[in-house]
Amino acid sequence: MLSALILIPCLSAAIIGLLPLKGNNPRNIAIVTAISVLVINLILALQFDFQQSGFQFVEDIAWIEWIGLNYHLGIDGLSFPLVILNSFLTLIAIFSSSSTIQRPRLYYAMLLLLSGGAAGAFLAQDLLLFFLFYELEIVPLYFLIAIWGGAKRGYAAMKFLLYTALSGILVLASFLGLVWLTEASNFDYLPLRSHNLPLATQLLLLAPLLVGIFIKIPIFPFHTWLPDAHVQASTPISVLLAGVLLKLGTYALLRFAVGLFLEGWVYLAPWLALLAAISSLYGASCAIAQKDMKKVVAYSSVSHMGYILLAATATTRLSMTAAVFQMVSHGLISAFLFLLVGMVYKKTGSRDVDVLRGLLNPEKGLPVTGGMMILGVMASSGLPGMVGFISEFLVFRGSFPIFPIATLMCMVATGLTAVYFLLMVNKVFFGRLTEGLAQIPPVKWNEHAPAFVLLLLIVVFGLKPDWVTHWSEVQAIALLAGG
Amino acid sequence: MARTLTKSSKSLLVEEYINRLEKGSALLDDSPQNLMEVIGVLKSYGIVLDAYSVNLNYIADTQFLKLFPLFKYFNGKVNAETIGNFIAHDRINYEYAEYCMKSMFWHGGGGVDEYLDTEEFAAETERLLKAYYKYNPLMLALHKLFPDFLPEQMRQKAYYSALGQFWRVMSDIFINLSDSYDRGEIKSIPEVVTFILDGLVADAARPITYTVKVRGEEFHIMPKSAGLTFLMDTGVPYVEAIFFRGTPFTGTVSYNAQAYEIPYDIGMFNYGALYADPLPIGGAGIPPTLLMQDMRHFLPDYLREFYQKDSVRGFGDIRVQICQSFQKSMFCVTTAAVKGLAPHALDTTDPEEKSANHLYLKGWLNRILESQLVKVNSQTESQPEMQHR
Repeated sequence: MLSALILIPCLSAAIIGLLPLKGNNPRNIAIVTAISVLVINLILALQFDFQQSGFQFVEDIAWIEWIGLNYHLGIDGLSFPLVILNSFLTLIAIFSSSSTIQRPRLYYAMLLLLSGGAAGAFLAQDLLLFFLFYELEIVPLYFLIAIWGGAKRGYAAMKFLLYTALSGILVLASFLGLVWLTEASNFDYLPLRSHNLPLATQLLLLAPLLVGIFIKIPIFPFHTWLPDAHVQASTPISVLLAGVLLKLGTYALLRFAVGLFLEGWVYLAPWLALLAAISSLYGASCAIAQKDMKKVVAYSSVSHMGYILLAATATTRLSMTAAVFQMVSHGLISAFLFLLVGMVYKKTGSRDVDVLRGLLNPEKGLPVTGGMMILGVMASSGLPGMVGFISEFLVFRGSFPIFPIATLMCMVATGLTAVYFLLMVNKVFFGRLTEGLAQIPPVKWNEHAPAFVLLLLIVVFGLKPDWVTHWSEVQAIALLAGG
Repeated sequence: MARTLTKSSKSLLVEEYINRLEKGSALLDDSPQNLMEVIGVLKSYGIVLDAYSVNLNYIADTQFLKLFPLFKYFNGKVNAETIGNFIAHDRINYEYAEYCMKSMFWHGGGGVDEYLDTEEFAAETERLLKAYYKYNPLMLALHKLFPDFLPEQMRQKAYYSALGQFWRVMSDIFINLSDSYDRGEIKSIPEVVTFILDGLVADAARPITYTVKVRGEEFHIMPKSAGLTFLMDTGVPYVEAIFFRGTPFTGTVSYNAQAYEIPYDIGMFNYGALYADPLPIGGAGIPPTLLMQDMRHFLPDYLREFYQKDSVRGFGDIRVQICQSFQKSMFCVTTAAVKGLAPHALDTTDPEEKSANHLYLKGWLNRILESQLVKVNSQTESQPEMQHR
């Protein structure tokens, strides 16, 4: 069943790419595929046992035995929310893609391949298989930025490729080192977890793994590829980039850095907590200085991903649950904000906060977009009643007893979230609509549909957070319990 | 917000516009599009004014001294259907007419304002109150305790009546103007101004009176003997209050006194209809006001088509478009009022008369040029080619 989550989008991508265009609408095929995957996810969710800490729906097939690669899939409370988030945001991304996009067959094929690759990485229980999927999703994303991106798409795509390829190499080096030092016969996750390596060895293997993961998340100072990629990527790709692909990094952090090298992780935790706080403050400070709305949201991602690192360093039951919750929360909120920024750009042709003014104008502006942007800002700033409040509260509540200084620094970053977003909203949406914007076309309700769905989830999970937390509570304890 | 002019550029502009008016032109540039917008919007305005005037007169004549006039917007037709329509907001926004009345009431000026402070008015009102509350000792006792309250209510009702009578006339002028345009008799903006001016002059001396009845007995709150007339006692205060001083376009511009946005000379503080920014600020949703909501139901087809073609939003921003056209039409009405009140004919060749006119026009234009006029006229050149209908 789990294979379907990978194979259906990949096969569909192949079908879209190979079938002649005449009579086949690739967008419709992509939508049907994304819906099918989401439905399978929901069926799996109904069968999932939340009280069981181990992997479920396991599929284990020997693949290339002489290098120790097994096709080993499984799902647990850590990966399930992210797998669902991936399939859900893929559907949102397809819906929000222009129906008149250039080279639609290639576009939707790449989009589905990206989704399938991300699902594979979340499901892989073999380190080498994870690495393969981790690398696989880079290729379609590179093309999605390089072909359908903005004016500097070539530069941004190449930068993304170089950074994330380096990330993959470092992750692979760590995995190879682990297998070599433990003299394991294959790359299976659970047997490797049970090895108790000396602290020095753990630190030696953890260092490249962390750098690789920090590039992917990204954490300061390895973040510079992300704002460029976001700014140049089209709106649906930014949605997937922020909502899913950054989560591959945080997922790897919890699954492999904490899961495989717990002792080394705890040893480094105080420094990593400090790095998390610095990254959060740095991202927030950069966001304040930005003039491009998309860059504001991109730097807010850098800032908010720091909270996940902070929560992971605290290694308490609550903080680990918080880390998973923050992943889901950030996935929904950042996707929502990118959709809205994309809508502003689509209608006005600008994202410049010095150019845009008064878009909340009820007659000639984008009042619904503006209204939702204000709600998105509230969610991102952690206002009660929305998912952002729960995630940040859990992160800070879980981390404060362990790293109070770093937690306080991150709380300042949360305060700055309100600052940079309110600066942006105040400039772009309030005041008098400038004459140059007096003839912008209105937004149709169906154009806003993906954002409405995301907003609904942001509010629903804000009011009923246990619908997310009960997925990861048991698994959080299991991660900390060692092999 | 109105464009701020430098002192030198403003004085040049004043001279330019004085020259225009003396040559028989209007404040608003003449163009086929302006003409079509002005006539179209005045037609719908005329229909709406008719409804407003009916309601204002109804309230003045039948709802006076009622402490809770719950059904004052029903014009005496209170039944399940009209109540249902009211709740469903399938109705004219009579509140707008009341806001205009209050604006006139607060700003005062003219003969009506003066008369309402006379002994004659006070005596007649006292007589009315005694008759009206003949069987209500409680109200009579309260009147003794608060002697200013009920007369103030009647002052307000006098304004209801004055504005109702004024709009009654204006409504007919605007509808007739539209009919003339449809017959091909009006072909330019100056002709529009002349038509309105002729209408104003024709009714200039029309008496403004207000009489109420209590149990068959008549009370002349504003008697004919007071000599109150249509143009000088209601028309001029109306233009001053609504066009210049303040209009129910609340929230159009937010003024900050501490940022010196309100001039020290309060006489130069203009925030009336001619100054309103058609693009509302933030979420206030104004000035696509109640008036624009009402007018959109009565737009002639040619103007409706124009709005649909002119904006990428079609009818989505129709209230803003109506507001822009309405402002243009009000510049025509203002031109007519300015011309009608001039001390001498504007085309006079007598140097003394010319000088007096010049001084008179300069006073008006110094105020008018702070309005949206310059901005509106600056857009005339970019209007697409259009043939006269």
